[in-house]
Amino acid sequence: MSVIDMTKQLEQILNCSVIRSNRSLEDIAIFMGPSYENATIEKGQYIEGKHDCWLVMDLFADYCEVIEFQQKALSATEMQLIAILLLNKTSVTLDNQYAGMTKIEKQATKLGEWLQSQMDVHATRSNIPEHLIMASSLYHEMVPILLIADSSMQSHSSYAELDKLLRSFLSEDVLLIPLPHDEWLIWGPTSLLRDDDSSDSDYMNEETLEDSLSNIAHGLHDMLASEWIGESQLAITYPIVPAKSMVETVGQLRESIHIGRKFHVGNNIHLPWLLQLEVLLHAIPEVHRQKYLEQSLKRAELFVEPEMLATLETFFNLDCNVSETAKKLYIHRNTLLYRLDKLKQETGLDVRLFRDAVLVKIILLLYKVTKTH
Amino acid sequence: MAGVRLEGIYKKYPGSERASVTDVNLDIKDKEFLVLVGPSGCGKSTTLRMIAGLEEISEGKLFIGDRLVNDVAPKDRDIAMVFQSYALYPHMNVYQNMAFGLKLRKFKKADIDKRVREAATILDIVHLLDRKPKALSGGQRQRVALGRAIVREPQVFLMDEPLSNLDAKLRGQMRAEISKLTKRLETTTIYVTHDQIEAMTMGDRIVVMKDGFIQQTASPEELYNNPVNIFVAGFIGSPSMNFIPGSISEQAGEVKFKASGVDVVVPEGKAAVLRSKGFIGKEVVLGIRPEDLHEEPVFLEASPKTIVSANIEVAENLGHEMYLYLNGIGTDSVIARVDGRSTLRDGATVKLAIDMNKVHIFDKETELNIFEN
Repeated sequence: MSVIDMTKQLEQILNCSVIRSNRSLEDIAIFMGPSYENATIEKGQYIEGKHDCWLVMDLFADYCEVIEFQQKALSATEMQLIAILLLNKTSVTLDNQYAGMTKIEKQATKLGEWLQSQMDVHATRSNIPEHLIMASSLYHEMVPILLIADSSMQSHSSYAELDKLLRSFLSEDVLLIPLPHDEWLIWGPTSLLRDDDSSDSDYMNEETLEDSLSNIAHGLHDMLASEWIGESQLAITYPIVPAKSMVETVGQLRESIHIGRKFHVGNNIHLPWLLQLEVLLHAIPEVHRQKYLEQSLKRAELFVEPEMLATLETFFNLDCNVSETAKKLYIHRNTLLYRLDKLKQETGLDVRLFRDAVLVKIILLLYKVTKTH
Repeated sequence: MAGVRLEGIYKKYPGSERASVTDVNLDIKDKEFLVLVGPSGCGKSTTLRMIAGLEEISEGKLFIGDRLVNDVAPKDRDIAMVFQSYALYPHMNVYQNMAFGLKLRKFKKADIDKRVREAATILDIVHLLDRKPKALSGGQRQRVALGRAIVREPQVFLMDEPLSNLDAKLRGQMRAEISKLTKRLETTTIYVTHDQIEAMTMGDRIVVMKDGFIQQTASPEELYNNPVNIFVAGFIGSPSMNFIPGSISEQAGEVKFKASGVDVVVPEGKAAVLRSKGFIGKEVVLGIRPEDLHEEPVFLEASPKTIVSANIEVAENLGHEMYLYLNGIGTDSVIARVDGRSTLRDGATVKLAIDMNKVHIFDKETELNIFEN
């Protein structure tokens, strides 16, 4: 039985709400009031507030893991017994949970659990507690990548297998952190972005940081598809110092995958710097989005014809360049102009004008989200 | 090398009412080059991705050789993939890109070197082995992607629109090279494209798909000469087959096809089929390819009972041949392909003989080819 199962049983026995949570030291100070000044917080300690009481399960640099009992009518002896029971259970569960893991996997798993606990309480600005810093490289800039395995065969994947694969593929300095729900956080060294032999190119253009990150993500995606368990979703972002803002970064990467999948079904690589408009649109309440889209589509069903959708997608991807779009679509320039004129005639929107192009782009994005519903 | 067998394969996405792929049965022979072709959304890529293991199979069985592989991970299927969005590993040079898969599979260094150099020789990229991907042109990158697949010496190559990112000239060149390469390697290949020219020039057999259903599986010649329905007839061939709605009647022992501006005699062999299948007096659609409309006097003299008269809307001279866009044959515009030396010009009236031995007649209701079903 897990600690969570036990808290449920305690809820029934004590007839009150019993919740496991993470509390910052500030929360503890407020909860204890003036008595916090001289207090020493210890594992297993029982703290009384005005209306409820907390049992400290574990201590970290800037927060405590506690179990909250939403009533005060427990005697000190009862609380001591509960503490012994829960702490004993936790240590047994943890020992079982980490059994068979290598040291590095155990550390990575603990860090992953901490990350998730911070995400759960939206503590995005938390720094990693020192005891969870698994490598000194976490104090240096690294490239963060979030990976979600799509395949139903993911149960076959193990930390050791993926870790080995990534070390062969990216670098020996890679750090892999498992997260719940088949997510993996990968930290790659910034050396991946450096070019050691930039002299050998006839074709090479000046590559931006975004290009380099995108290329790494695409290469990694292809490699995982053919050498791991199949399809996956990936998000990558700019290098950061992991020890400082790991939680925030995981949040950003998760949001990119979530929004990227919603707006661009079929895409597997999600790049935060290309999803800014989508993030904004996602923040608009559903009811308003729906209403706007209905009004827009009423003007013309032409928007949603596959040929027109493909034409507009390509047109926008090529920065509204008529010649390039015609070339890419293998159609005559005049055929493209005819399609754009037809759209203008039926909707009043001329995508060759910046203002109308923005509106049509927004309509298409909203249509995709609505369609996927 | 091995064949691939699909038995009653379905793909249904959660929440979608209609299956994306429905009851696909295919027996792909060892060493065969099979092309899946169809318009966007027809299910061809989904079918290929199921073979690759990148999409789960909702229903049915998939065999590679004699092995059922429904639940086998992509890396263990002994296949190699080259996809439209192929991504090279940006931080590795060409040699490392090609060697990576073999290194993972613990091949000896000498074997890896031999295979990489052999593949590089075949693809004419030996001089690029030390280069990083970003220092390569589009065509060179495509060759490296192929090289990465070749060195694995897989049982099956899977290619999903691998040429779509190349310009028209390079596409033509690479099309021929892939054909040569797969013949030389004698590897079973399944190739997806929306381009019917690629399909016709590369495939031993072609599978035409629409709305998730296979429409016809046949050799390129069979598909061109004996399409089973209007969709296949219209999809294969450029310019497309002309379709003229009309009716079948019998007068004085002659079976005739009549439509606006058309009154032609059906040859006896085809007439017998129409009689036996009860199409006399029925509405049908006549299909005629642009090259089966003739303006040469010798044809007009030889076929006095199949002559139609039309106005030339536009005469497009491509040098070696001329396309005539015609009015007056049925209700829609009809295209004829005539000799480039023809002196016909826009606005002229022209007499054309329909080669009735080459026409197809489709049931208006079922859209099936009456002579093929």
